[in-house]
Amino acid sequence: MTAPTSEALASPRLSSTRAGLVARTVQGFREILLRQRLIRYLVGADLKRTHADTAFGQLWWIFDPLLQMAVYVVLVEVIFKRNIPDYPLFLFAAILPWKWFSTTLSDATVSVTNRQSLIRQIQFPKVVLPTASVTAGTVSFLIGLIALGIVYLFFINRLTPWVLLIPVIAAVQFVFTLAMGIWLAAVNAFYRDVQNVLRHVLRLWFYLSPALYSLHDLEKGSPFRKILELNPFAPLFDSYRAVIWGVMGPLGTKVQTHPGAPNWIGLGAVLIFSFILLALAIALFKRVEPAFARIL
Amino acid sequence: MASSELRSTVGTATPGGIGNGTGAGGADLGVPALPVRPSGGGAGMGRPAIEVEDLGIRYNLRLTRRTTIKNSLPGWFGRDDGTPKHFWALRHLSFRLEHGESLAIIGPNGAGKSTLLLSLAGILQPSEGEIKTYGQVSTLLTLGAGFELELSGRDNIDLAAAFLGISHREMAGLAPSIIEFADIGPFIDAPVKTYSTGMKARLGFAIATAITPDILLLDEVLGTGDQTFRARSRGRIQELVTQAKAIVLVTHDLTYVTEFCNRAILIERGQIISEGQPETIVDLYRQRVEERKLLAEAEGQRFAKVPGAR
Repeated sequence: MTAPTSEALASPRLSSTRAGLVARTVQGFREILLRQRLIRYLVGADLKRTHADTAFGQLWWIFDPLLQMAVYVVLVEVIFKRNIPDYPLFLFAAILPWKWFSTTLSDATVSVTNRQSLIRQIQFPKVVLPTASVTAGTVSFLIGLIALGIVYLFFINRLTPWVLLIPVIAAVQFVFTLAMGIWLAAVNAFYRDVQNVLRHVLRLWFYLSPALYSLHDLEKGSPFRKILELNPFAPLFDSYRAVIWGVMGPLGTKVQTHPGAPNWIGLGAVLIFSFILLALAIALFKRVEPAFARIL
Repeated sequence: MASSELRSTVGTATPGGIGNGTGAGGADLGVPALPVRPSGGGAGMGRPAIEVEDLGIRYNLRLTRRTTIKNSLPGWFGRDDGTPKHFWALRHLSFRLEHGESLAIIGPNGAGKSTLLLSLAGILQPSEGEIKTYGQVSTLLTLGAGFELELSGRDNIDLAAAFLGISHREMAGLAPSIIEFADIGPFIDAPVKTYSTGMKARLGFAIATAITPDILLLDEVLGTGDQTFRARSRGRIQELVTQAKAIVLVTHDLTYVTEFCNRAILIERGQIISEGQPETIVDLYRQRVEERKLLAEAEGQRFAKVPGAR
């Protein structure tokens, strides 16, 4: 049998006869599913490694977003004198998922390059590396939800059963993060510039996402708002905020309601987009994977 | 059986079922793309363990370690600075290894020995030609490189097993003997970051040698730890050597070649210079090294004369 599963060795000239886009994507997905035990161990190692040498250890997953929130509350409420009711909770609904996204993406980006000695010594599907990074980040996000519980102690009147939808929104974000992580890990193996640029891109991305403010603060139909609406984090933050804090009324009306349904249409669009991105990212990753051992 | 699916599939592939690489580069050889396989290395036609045909491994010099966009800008804009784009670490390599054989690969530094071993292990994919391995291949890796310092020794054993694709059950069976062989006592449940260098090396060696592969790839000889451990590790390697169906050994220690191997290949600059009985090949290698030394001396003398002549 000229087994299609053994593309790697069966195609003697890797640069000219390579598996097609779909075949590579399917193979990448299969590797992720078949190597779950390896992913689990890598996640465990990742979790033990982060904060292992700090006094508070894993408690930093809870402190960190709280402190970040405090900084922005001071900045926006005290310095810019903006007045949004229950602002800390408003803010926290965006800070927590953003923290998850940014740290996870940074970890995933260097996941391949950090394992270079291993890659030169063992043959294994490299796609498990960014996948494990993203999964580990998800675990720390779940622990970070404890911090949300702490914030809720002060705004208990805004706690509704809608918060139970957080995992649904997080699932959409997970697919998006995984796609970005796999893609960046592959590119970073060739160009280490990525890991340096990423930090700044992430910061800009955060300010261009409705985290500190709400999209409703911007004039409807303004070009800036139109651009922001293309940002996957617009519907994501919008949805987190809807179930955690509430739904903001139109500009100037000061009407604000209690928590309600997330932005389903926006979430659906992000989910579809993320799956397409994920398929393409895996295809790219599989395409360049054979080169890792040569260039790292 | 464990190993990656890739290898096991290759193991069942019928010889000749996969077209050989008569693409650009090697076209002048005119190897027919027929299911008739010319025997690679000579020797009889026993059960094959490894078949290498017209193997070429090419490194892209533009994309080597720590490239940055700045370095590759000239390439993107079509400005050629005259440096070669590729380097063939191996080219037009063909040989065949049968069950029961142990093959030594010798040659000067940079000849491509390690590259060959990496490609036999499936870590480097051929840029040209093909490699077929029949059975589970295992390298004795530079030991302990994959350790997670925050994890305990025991967890690292599990992690290594997961990387190698060994089932949990199989590894659970092997773990006690690994722990015993590594001889690190209660430290096995402490994080690896607390280990001494020797302990790490012993654990790494114990993990790397826990599985008995069909085809054993050995790079250099593993001198780790103190005297007693070195003796034990030698014993363990002997054990693996006797149990493996075929062995490929890369070494500078020529006594190993004549002692352990029944065939040898001399490689220089990525190409096979000669192949045959270990004694003959070792003699040839020594002779060539000697010649090169004389040549270098002559060059040196000529060079030395130049300033004197002025």
